[in-house]
Amino acid sequence: MSGPTVVLGVIGADCHSVGNRILEVFFTGEGFRVVNLGVMVSPLEFIDAAIETDARAILISSLYGHGEIDCQGLRDLCVEKGLDKIILYAGGNLVVGKTPFAEVEAKYRNMGFDRVFSADSDLKQAAGLLRQDIRTSFGEG
Amino acid sequence: MRKAVSIDIGSTWTKGALFALDGPASAVLEMRETPTTQDGLANGFLRVLTALLGLPPGTTLGEVPGDVPVYFSSSAKGGLAIAAIGLVPDLTLHLAKLAAMSAGGKVVKAFSFSLTEEDVTDLESAPPDIILLAGGTDGGNTAYLLENAKRLAASEVETPVIFAGNRAAAARVAKILRRKSVFVAENLMPEIGQMNLEPVREKIRDIFLDRIVAGRGLADIVHALGTRPKPTPLGVYELVAAIPLVRPDWDDICVIDMGGATTDVYSNTESFLETDTVVLKGVREPRVKRTVEGDLGLRVSARTLWDSAREDILEGLGRAGLQEPAMESFVAKVSADTGYLPTGETEKTLDRILAEACVFHAALRHIGVWREAYTPQGKVFVQTGKDLRRVKAVIGSGGYLSRCRESTVMRAPLRRLASRGEELKLAPAAPVFYADGGTLFPLVGNLAEDHPVEAVALALSRLTELPNKG
Repeated sequence: MSGPTVVLGVIGADCHSVGNRILEVFFTGEGFRVVNLGVMVSPLEFIDAAIETDARAILISSLYGHGEIDCQGLRDLCVEKGLDKIILYAGGNLVVGKTPFAEVEAKYRNMGFDRVFSADSDLKQAAGLLRQDIRTSFGEG
Repeated sequence: MRKAVSIDIGSTWTKGALFALDGPASAVLEMRETPTTQDGLANGFLRVLTALLGLPPGTTLGEVPGDVPVYFSSSAKGGLAIAAIGLVPDLTLHLAKLAAMSAGGKVVKAFSFSLTEEDVTDLESAPPDIILLAGGTDGGNTAYLLENAKRLAASEVETPVIFAGNRAAAARVAKILRRKSVFVAENLMPEIGQMNLEPVREKIRDIFLDRIVAGRGLADIVHALGTRPKPTPLGVYELVAAIPLVRPDWDDICVIDMGGATTDVYSNTESFLETDTVVLKGVREPRVKRTVEGDLGLRVSARTLWDSAREDILEGLGRAGLQEPAMESFVAKVSADTGYLPTGETEKTLDRILAEACVFHAALRHIGVWREAYTPQGKVFVQTGKDLRRVKAVIGSGGYLSRCRESTVMRAPLRRLASRGEELKLAPAAPVFYADGGTLFPLVGNLAEDHPVEAVALALSRLTELPNKG
């Protein structure tokens, strides 16, 4: 029995792959149907995969500090492509330098992300929030 | 001695060969050709068949003895025209096109996301032979599929539809299209990153046999000889697929089939070599791939070639010291006279410039690229499409290339391709070039399914290695 579909990947010119595999295994274990696009994923690739798979959420990892540039305009693209309700999460080392997390979170929420996670977030908690958000937005699961 | 006949009914010529089948020692015994009889394809077919078998002229189809199997293919009446409808252009639509081309079809229209009213009118007024409706991974998107199915159902389109999209929508699509002819195949992209083209290819073949063959007057041949025809390019595809299996020393090959109307490129090589420094984006292309370009040809499509390849043709004219008006009048002449043979050095040069432009653009559209990307871990390459750098043999087929005596027409454009632009084009790095003397590949291709060993032996036996000039 497989749960809601989520698209996962590491955005931009970033080829950190170990964490990505860990996330795939974890979320699959939590009952999600994970479509893992791997590393160096462009915004359009996330969107294309989300459309074809009818995904409920896109989980974007970024670990090299330049995520902000890569993630700019992603919510707009989703809306353009008919993915108005899709849930967007961002997680990892999302900015360069030691910015307080609250600021990072505000920045990404402003860009249209529903939730923002730091590199040391509790994955179990994240999975719970994801289930909840999907239920709220789509009335499923 | 076991024999077999293979006949190809082309748009201009109907050609045939009688083969002696003897494993690796198979040989060509006879070859015959006649202009294709447009108003009754079976007539030209029969003329060639009786000549090959040494039967008296006037022998009817029913009187042909059944001891020698007869294989045949057809690309007459424009070949197999397929309209592809997918969801996302770079994903399911791309795979739908690949499936159509690898089944011997030509993609005459391509649509993504929702069909508009204009798209539907287009399909009604210029109906293709088959509509391929795809989109959504299994358990994924259904909305666009259902909408497109409803639009087709409400239209005047009578073309058979093959549904090869999201499995979860199959039953509903079949029901929506129940008053049209609809066929269901397995999803050609069941998951992101997975392709499943075989079931669609089979269905295309079935429909070709049932519908299109009858519509083109080939049903008599099928009925009399009991033989399943193919669209011509399917035979060549099957031959290219078979060559490395029968002869592993002939792995990593590419065939360029340049004709008056289209240029087809076939490749059989691993599409992506995984290393630490390159990442693949998009679809992982199939090991055996065919692309067909309907705007690149030397006669019927000379004018569209002139448009599509303007820059390269002008460069070629410059290198040869010739002017644009000369090419303009040559193009006008050959588009009107599809059997035209160039006379004099200037016309031959103009023809060669066109041929090189066909090779350049057909190859450009078939091969993939590497783009540089800088990451905190260092420089990495991102590959999209298929890597043909390891291709060891490039074989030229079709009237023009099969008559080549040296490799320039193929070698020079491939070299220019590799050094053009910022992205690295993954063209064959250092291949040997060959000519398919006598354009045997389409005829031998018809044997590849049932007699792969013999077909491969025949195909390779007639190849002429082309030296580099100068």
